[in-house]
Amino acid sequence: MHDWEALVRERLAGGSFELEELREVIAELGGHLEENFEQLRQRGLPERAAVERALSEVKDWQDLRRRIQMARGKEGSMTDRVRQWWLPGFVALFLSVMLLMANELIGMRTGIEPLIVSAHGSQLSAPVAVIYVPWLLLLVPIGAMAAYLAGRAGGSQRAMFLSTVFPVLPHLGFFLIVFPVVLILDDHVAHNIMISGLFMSLAAWVLLPGVALLAGGLPVQLLRSRRPASA
Amino acid sequence: MIAPGIKRGTAELAVLSVLEDGPLHGYEMARRIEEQTHGSLRFTLASLYPLLYRLEKRGWVRGAWETSGTGRRRRCYRLTAEGKKKLAPIRQEWAELFRALKRLTKVSHA
Repeated sequence: MHDWEALVRERLAGGSFELEELREVIAELGGHLEENFEQLRQRGLPERAAVERALSEVKDWQDLRRRIQMARGKEGSMTDRVRQWWLPGFVALFLSVMLLMANELIGMRTGIEPLIVSAHGSQLSAPVAVIYVPWLLLLVPIGAMAAYLAGRAGGSQRAMFLSTVFPVLPHLGFFLIVFPVVLILDDHVAHNIMISGLFMSLAAWVLLPGVALLAGGLPVQLLRSRRPASA
Repeated sequence: MIAPGIKRGTAELAVLSVLEDGPLHGYEMARRIEEQTHGSLRFTLASLYPLLYRLEKRGWVRGAWETSGTGRRRRCYRLTAEGKKKLAPIRQEWAELFRALKRLTKVSHA
């Protein structure tokens, strides 16, 4: 005897349903699964196969929960978007900025220099990229935290991904908009230096931090996406 | 088989039409639609309930818990007066669409 309601409850966990509403949805979906299972059994399917077939009606429970909430007027609201994307994203951005400042201050006090990489290899001439290695390492748990917060709030895979990379989005915006404008307007710097400088800065402030954030965020995203299917 | 994108558009019409014959609970509704369309339209739990809740929120259908002869509690949906009113124009829109597609593609049995 399967407890279909318990199964649905477990899979719909984390949504912003009211208690009575959640109870109703669970009872209804559980009843549907049970009836489907019984029909499949009557048609001669073995129990295990019938359970699997009944459950195959839902590919992604998180997505179903979101669509039910949306249908009942719970999603699409600012509150959900704030919880699932803006809040995790801004927390990650705030921590990232704070840790970068801390990294710089501690570096100045202790005399530990950041890693300076030049486009000309060992010759330290412009353009150079300043890389804060401790900061990059700390971005890994920040990325994981952002993905976890977004996932816990019922955010989609996309919301989790965007929350994870949120701290580098302002940098990306800067390099995509401000830098090309400066490149066109400023005639004091040689363009060959500006262009290689753009790519070096892009690597130091967008690509490397992005990779570090995703190194933390993607495993969380992967675990989260597997959880409902395997339960 | 009908592509999912096309099915999505027809979902409201399918549910409202099948409820026109009388109240049904979700599972029975899905089965009835599948049978009546000879398997061309198939609703899964994931596709049916968000749609039912949306229609209910709009006031086109109304769900109420009922106990069957076997003692099983099910949420039965029935078409509201508002839903009945909406069904006619939706049907007309689809009929117009089919006619237009028929003219356009010269599909003889659309």
